Amino acid sequence: MILQIALKELKELIREGRFRVMSVAIAALLVVATVITFNYYQWVNAQHTAAKENARNVWVSQDNKNPHSAAHYGTYAFKPKYPMSLIDQGVDKYTGLSIYLEAHKRNEAQYMAAQDQTAASRFGELTPDFILLLIVPLFIILIGFNSFTREQESGTLRLLKSQGVSSFTLALGKWLGVFLPVLIVTLLVALLSLVLLLSVRDFGELNLGAFTLLFLFFLIYYAVFTNLTLWISSVSRKSGVALVILLAIWMVSCLGMPKVANRLAEAIHPYPTQNEFLSAIDEDERSGLNGHDPFSEEAKKLEAETLKKYGVDSVQQLPFNWDGLLMQKGEEHSAEIFFKHYESLRQTNIAQTNVYRASSVLSPYLPARFLSMALCRTDYQAHWHFSDAAEKYRMKMMDALNMNFAEKTSYGDWAWKADKSLWKEIPDFSYEPVTYAAIVQGNTNNIMALMLWLLVSAGLVFRGVKKMSVV
Amino acid sequence: MHKHNFKFEWMQLQRERWVAILMIVFMSLCFFAVSNGKKKMSIRQSEIATSTSIVDEYEGNSKKIIDSLNAGLSPDVSPWTNPQRLSVIGNKGARVAAMPALPLAFVATGQSDLFTHAVKPTLTGDSYMLSFTEMSNPVQLLFGSFDLAFLCIYLLPLLVLGFSYNVLSSEKELGSLRLMLAQPVSMYNWLLNKLMLRFMIMTAIAWVSILVAMLVNGVQLTNEIGALVQLLLLVAVYIMFWFVIALIVNAFGKSSGMNAVVIISVWVGLVLLLPAILSQTGNSIYPIPSRINMINEMRAAEAETTAKADTILQNFYRDHPELAQTKEGENSYSYYLKFFASQDVVKEEVKPVLDEYESKLKAQQNFVSSLRFLSPSLMAQSAFNNLAGTSSLHYESYRQQVVRHAGEWRSYFLPRMFRDEQMSVKDFDQLPVFVFSYEEVESQYGSDLIGLILFTGFGLLFSVWVYRRHTREALFS
Repeated sequence: MILQIALKELKELIREGRFRVMSVAIAALLVVATVITFNYYQWVNAQHTAAKENARNVWVSQDNKNPHSAAHYGTYAFKPKYPMSLIDQGVDKYTGLSIYLEAHKRNEAQYMAAQDQTAASRFGELTPDFILLLIVPLFIILIGFNSFTREQESGTLRLLKSQGVSSFTLALGKWLGVFLPVLIVTLLVALLSLVLLLSVRDFGELNLGAFTLLFLFFLIYYAVFTNLTLWISSVSRKSGVALVILLAIWMVSCLGMPKVANRLAEAIHPYPTQNEFLSAIDEDERSGLNGHDPFSEEAKKLEAETLKKYGVDSVQQLPFNWDGLLMQKGEEHSAEIFFKHYESLRQTNIAQTNVYRASSVLSPYLPARFLSMALCRTDYQAHWHFSDAAEKYRMKMMDALNMNFAEKTSYGDWAWKADKSLWKEIPDFSYEPVTYAAIVQGNTNNIMALMLWLLVSAGLVFRGVKKMSVV
Repeated sequence: MHKHNFKFEWMQLQRERWVAILMIVFMSLCFFAVSNGKKKMSIRQSEIATSTSIVDEYEGNSKKIIDSLNAGLSPDVSPWTNPQRLSVIGNKGARVAAMPALPLAFVATGQSDLFTHAVKPTLTGDSYMLSFTEMSNPVQLLFGSFDLAFLCIYLLPLLVLGFSYNVLSSEKELGSLRLMLAQPVSMYNWLLNKLMLRFMIMTAIAWVSILVAMLVNGVQLTNEIGALVQLLLLVAVYIMFWFVIALIVNAFGKSSGMNAVVIISVWVGLVLLLPAILSQTGNSIYPIPSRINMINEMRAAEAETTAKADTILQNFYRDHPELAQTKEGENSYSYYLKFFASQDVVKEEVKPVLDEYESKLKAQQNFVSSLRFLSPSLMAQSAFNNLAGTSSLHYESYRQQVVRHAGEWRSYFLPRMFRDEQMSVKDFDQLPVFVFSYEEVESQYGSDLIGLILFTGFGLLFSVWVYRRHTREALFS
């Protein structure tokens, strides 16, 4: 019986011109979006590989020079792209693509793509996530808004009821009728992207488990919208009214709530501005130890301690170059300052993330959006992870360079130059992204929110169908 | 007869509760949008004020120190902080180059959330490498802000369409159409009349809501009458465009249910899909030049010139001026003079790479930006951003003006350092001041508005064609 209803629904849909037009349109959009994005990523990826090699080449082919000069010259860490970023670009274009690693400073990632684009791109781009997260729910609404109201309006509900169909069967049949077309379209896209991703090797390792999980979440998200659509259709008297209400729900959850959540997050836990952040760091640098400032109090204290420890009475007599050690200590100290400020930024970010999570109560879009970005490793957390790894590498690099200077030279020997073989001894920056297990663990809240939406909305459908009275 | 039509429509509309509901909903959303915009604007203004006050304070202190040095007292200053040194004022006393918000900046966030509005180009810094990136949670940037521009571009069309999707079909469905047609009036004119009245009501609702929301949020309306009129005009033209869409859909003479679905699809197509498709196509046909390649080329250029620059000033001292020693009898700024010379050597190699990138990027942006004339919502967005002073062009100009200021800043100090001079109290008044000029930015408002009007005009012509071809047939078959 369930199947019969579902088949009847599908047959009816297929006979309708608008359904055919819409499904062809949406499938076409998805295919085009996937192919365009795929081309774009191949292009970016090729550059990325070249850039990474180039950065290393430039680093190792430095001439003989003072290690600290090399530290200032620095190098670049490039953020890798992962295969699944094909599906969801997440916040990638707002985070910058490379971090400049140099002495004394933890730099933010530079060159965010959004700054190079015109304001038009803020409308969103035709990428798979845009269609999958925003447009497909609309498609669900448009094919399902009159599932029940149509029966009401044409009087067929009376007939149906007289057949003794249980509300459960009716609801499930109708549900499948709406969900199956969506399922087919989604699987089509999944298959297409899978084929594309498996066809190229240099795109990196694709994790099939994560890929499946991602599409599973999309399907749950669509199930939520299918539920909401059927629920509203069952409680509305007229198709027009159902459509308007559903459209309002879509607007609020997909367009409105994300922006409202933004405002809430910023109002409750404001991010510092660039100027505030940097001047707070400056302030700490000024009052703290600074390896380059011989007038600084802390450096004097360190000097006294070191002299005492080695039992000598001037830095010239130390068995190593005092300036090298001083510089390393200064580096460590400023790294501590950076760490402190980035930690407080992280706390603000966590607090903001919690606001977004709380806002999920009013929008199934939000948990789906965050889950999708997280699994595609294009969310803000992925960026933090990369930025932390780059900072760790920077500290190791600075330590090696400064200590080389301290050990190989004697006090005042600024003109000394290290042999260029030193550059090769510093290992290349290699980055391991967050594991999928950690990603899932970090997103349990979002998964739960999505599940809650699924359960509640399913309950609403059954309630709505049960209460549906024949007029 | 026309008067009659109008009067009857008006009476009918008055009886419908939802004109009032619409007004209340829209007004409260407007209020929220304006308050959001104002909040962003005040953060921006206070950031500029804080940065400026820090510099002012520094200048005040510096003057005091110079005074007491002149008076023969010895305040606690090291050579690295002595404000008499031109090199100290040139770096530590760098002035704020700010981009203050236009009075209507709250209307559209535009690109303002990506950029900082207060930078301090210093004497020894590389102005062409200055970062303008504002610090923010990228999720904020991804979701965007709920501002007046968003409300007008996305929501107004839906209200318009909801208000008018069934003007013709409902008459047909109620059977009153036949009665109407018995009257000596052209059906097209009658339909136009009906929609015209609704357009006027809708525009009035939008205008009143926007103005009230501004007043309640404490916007000084009288200050910027010109810009305000432009804003209201833009809103009216955009509403008009969507009424023409409603007219076309109605003219096909389909049922109300069908119209509703068609109209939503049109909205999705024009507001959501078309802009996304255009910017994606634009970037595919004409890709943004690669930043990664630019970094590569820049590093290569840098690597080549370092040796050259080293002959002027050792690498080490370029990074650490405090380690450089000045010999007796030498110009006391000799370190800096060498620094500038070696910096110029590097700049000469690196800047062409950046300039080439910039000009390629500019060409690409111009191309993508011209695609907006294919989409009414993109034109509307561009017009809103231009009124708010938050368009891409504004930030591009800001960057250029800052670079120019950095040049002036350096030109003030360089000759004086050659002459081995010192900073005096009255010199502070001579320091170059940055004033952002909005006049330098070519406004796209006019072309966007004309584009929208043209779209509306073509739409109107199209509706006549549809009417001739379809309406009669559909209604009387």
